[in-house]
Amino acid sequence: MNDFVNNIKKVMLVFLVLFIALISYITYSYMFTSEKTLASTFNQRLWAERNKVLRGTIYDKDMNALTKSTKISETSQKLKYLQGAAFSHAIGYMDPIYGLAGLEKKYDAQLMDSGESAISKLVFFSKDTEEKIGNGLRTTLDSKLQLKAYELLKQTNHKGAIVALNPKTGEVLAMVSNPSYDPNNLERDMKGLNTNNDVPLLNRAVSGLYPPGSVFKTITAVSALENIPGVYNKGFSDNGKLVVNGTQLLKNYDGEVFGNIDFKKAYVHSSNVFFGSLGIDLGNKALRDTAEKFYFNKDMNATGMTIDPSQFPTYKSNEKGNIAQSAIGQAAVLATPMEMALVASSVANNGIMMEPMLVKEILSSKGKSLETTEPKQLGQVMTPETASTMKELMRGVVTDGTGGNAAVSGIDVSGKTGTADHKADANAQTAAHSWFIGFAPYDNPTIAIAVIVEEGGVGGGKAAQITGKLMETYLK
Amino acid sequence: MESIKEEKKLLMYTYLLGIVLFFNLFFIGKDGFDKGALIMGVIICFIFAYSHFIIRRFFPDGDKYILLFSNVLAVIGMGMIYRLDSPMALKQLIWYTVGIAVFILVVVLMPSLSKFGKYKYFYMICTLILMSMGSIFGDPTNGSKNWISIAGFTFQPTEFGKLSLVAYLAASLQYYGKNLKDKAELLKIKALIEPGIVVMISLGFMVTQKDLGSALIFFAISITMLYIATSNLKYVLVCLGLFIIGGFISYKLFGHVRLRFMIWGDPWKYGNNEGHQVVQSLISIASGGLFGTGLGLGYPKMVPVRESDFIFSAISEEMGLLTGFAILILYFLMFYRCMRVPIYSKDNFTRLLAVGYSTMIAAQALVIVGGVVGAIPLTGITLPLVSYGGSSMIITFFSLGILQKISEDGQSYE
Repeated sequence: MNDFVNNIKKVMLVFLVLFIALISYITYSYMFTSEKTLASTFNQRLWAERNKVLRGTIYDKDMNALTKSTKISETSQKLKYLQGAAFSHAIGYMDPIYGLAGLEKKYDAQLMDSGESAISKLVFFSKDTEEKIGNGLRTTLDSKLQLKAYELLKQTNHKGAIVALNPKTGEVLAMVSNPSYDPNNLERDMKGLNTNNDVPLLNRAVSGLYPPGSVFKTITAVSALENIPGVYNKGFSDNGKLVVNGTQLLKNYDGEVFGNIDFKKAYVHSSNVFFGSLGIDLGNKALRDTAEKFYFNKDMNATGMTIDPSQFPTYKSNEKGNIAQSAIGQAAVLATPMEMALVASSVANNGIMMEPMLVKEILSSKGKSLETTEPKQLGQVMTPETASTMKELMRGVVTDGTGGNAAVSGIDVSGKTGTADHKADANAQTAAHSWFIGFAPYDNPTIAIAVIVEEGGVGGGKAAQITGKLMETYLK
Repeated sequence: MESIKEEKKLLMYTYLLGIVLFFNLFFIGKDGFDKGALIMGVIICFIFAYSHFIIRRFFPDGDKYILLFSNVLAVIGMGMIYRLDSPMALKQLIWYTVGIAVFILVVVLMPSLSKFGKYKYFYMICTLILMSMGSIFGDPTNGSKNWISIAGFTFQPTEFGKLSLVAYLAASLQYYGKNLKDKAELLKIKALIEPGIVVMISLGFMVTQKDLGSALIFFAISITMLYIATSNLKYVLVCLGLFIIGGFISYKLFGHVRLRFMIWGDPWKYGNNEGHQVVQSLISIASGGLFGTGLGLGYPKMVPVRESDFIFSAISEEMGLLTGFAILILYFLMFYRCMRVPIYSKDNFTRLLAVGYSTMIAAQALVIVGGVVGAIPLTGITLPLVSYGGSSMIITFFSLGILQKISEDGQSYE
């Protein structure tokens, strides 16, 4: 009998040990592996939690919906991008596998916020009878212009980007990057998008760094007008090349010789020789200071976007060649299309650079305005007098100079062409980037545009044509 | 007197648990308040009260805690099932009622159990038939071939096989050592050959029916009963050795056994297909943390078969690991009460029967909880009393009824 009781005790002990071991194992996993477990891609709980709220809608400036969320089940929803590839870089995407990008990422918290606070839930015992919908986002985009810009750029069969701004407020009216992608088919396309050499996921409008070429002469001109007294009326003899100490530093496009010219004619016809020697006169520091006023080499605030800083190099005073090249937007000068659009926009806005904004307003799901973006100044980047001189010069480019293709009957378009050399490969003969920056109408500018068509040839060609058509679309 | 007070206190807590649980379910109803939850809570409390009353009033000598602990486990289970799938909980309530009825009937109607010791061969035949049924008639559900359907009811014959196996082992081991005191060791071993063969055949059937969980439990029951009957640790070690060899052979022989071990080794690698269940179960438990998300606030529905095999994960997610620990502790306490029963019993048959049934319930809890938390390879069996399932509920209450009966007899004879 005693034997039996002892046996029972021993068996109980064994089971006690087993139970304790099991509880210890669970405690161990809770303490040491649960974080890793929860971070696993097999964990669909975070997305399920998010999906309790129907994601808010993104609108264009006229309150046309650009996205639409629909509930599939209690824990899943489908976000549709109504305009597809034309808006993808501006809006971004949301995907359970690939995560968030663009506005969907920057405004994720607002888009998922149904405005219901934990306290109101507790106090009013509110039942989930009505559907929770996240806040809406009213962008500054003009759908008509955006679609047209995408269409025109796509038609060229070149890579490139277009940015259109309201010069007075900094509102982004259109922002297009080609090649693009359809955010509705990410699952299908993502693998290809990631390996594609043309990098369709890159938003070239704010992250594409290009040599600006002659459009940069606008900044050189501003710098000269403000640093060298009397430069505007000084005569200059252009013999087609710039030679300093027996070395040829640069020549005009196509080897043109302009002869006796003044400041205005040099800008209108885009004389490399004139602006190259102007660069040497100014020196690297003065030109760099002006460029930095325009937010080169600096981070720029923007609502709804992240703009990569454009770059202006530092050279020693004896690097004459580089200094001359940098004054015509070559050498190591790199600018984003957004930056160049802001340059045109500052000229149009009496020298005041406005902070670019892509989001105008956050709205509750019932349409009540919760937060509006007020236009902000980035600074007076040139005096109003300089700005008015520059306006005149840019108007001249379209009426008398290289930018004739941007002209639109009935609208006074002003602008500046750029034909930027770039070396993708030292030996390869590649066509230049076609640039155009401009604004319209002349008297009271309401739109400023920058267009780049990669390897599109002369700036007065493809880029100027696109600008003209966009001005027409927006202003007529 | 003190013990009656303690018992009453415990009973009060059980009612409180039931009321709180179903009040909670009442508040989280999908469209407004869920009256069904309240009605169910009241019915469960009534069944508690009734069963407890019968046992206390008419059989005051037996153990009172067995019924109490099993009621606590059942109410947690039904509460969780109600939150997951309320029509299913209604069915579970019916099974629970049937289970309680079986429990009471066993206690009330069964004559003294020592008389049943002589039907050894009857139990043996029952065991062998029930074990083989799955292999012969079974249709594969969830990859296992251990479900059969008769007249619209599907059930696992091996669940019932467990009952008869314990009875058979108890009947055949009860005379071990008696009248053999002076005889050779060899003769003692000879007496163990027949039960050994029956157990091996049963285990073989289990493995081929892919019911590895039951095989493990069978083995645990057999080895425990063997030890209690013979008091010989050597036999236990020999059996363990044989089990390991058998396990190794079936690992080499059967793909499904290898698969279980592979998933156990690294469930994340197979998270999209074979390891899906374990991975979702681990995530579920981890997301609940110590205190849980709160009833109705987690996502236990992302775990497959959460109402039966994975109910422990669902409970841990929404009620917290602490509730999970509480459940494990309750199982151990119940095991403790059950293992006390044979001490007061006088004949070997009932003693061994009690040991067998106690081990059965405890082993089952260990194997399935160990599986869902990833401590051991996962095998699909139910968590007794908590999981959804008719046959499991009835069998568990039947064995608890037998234990209650044995404790009643043992106490009253003394």
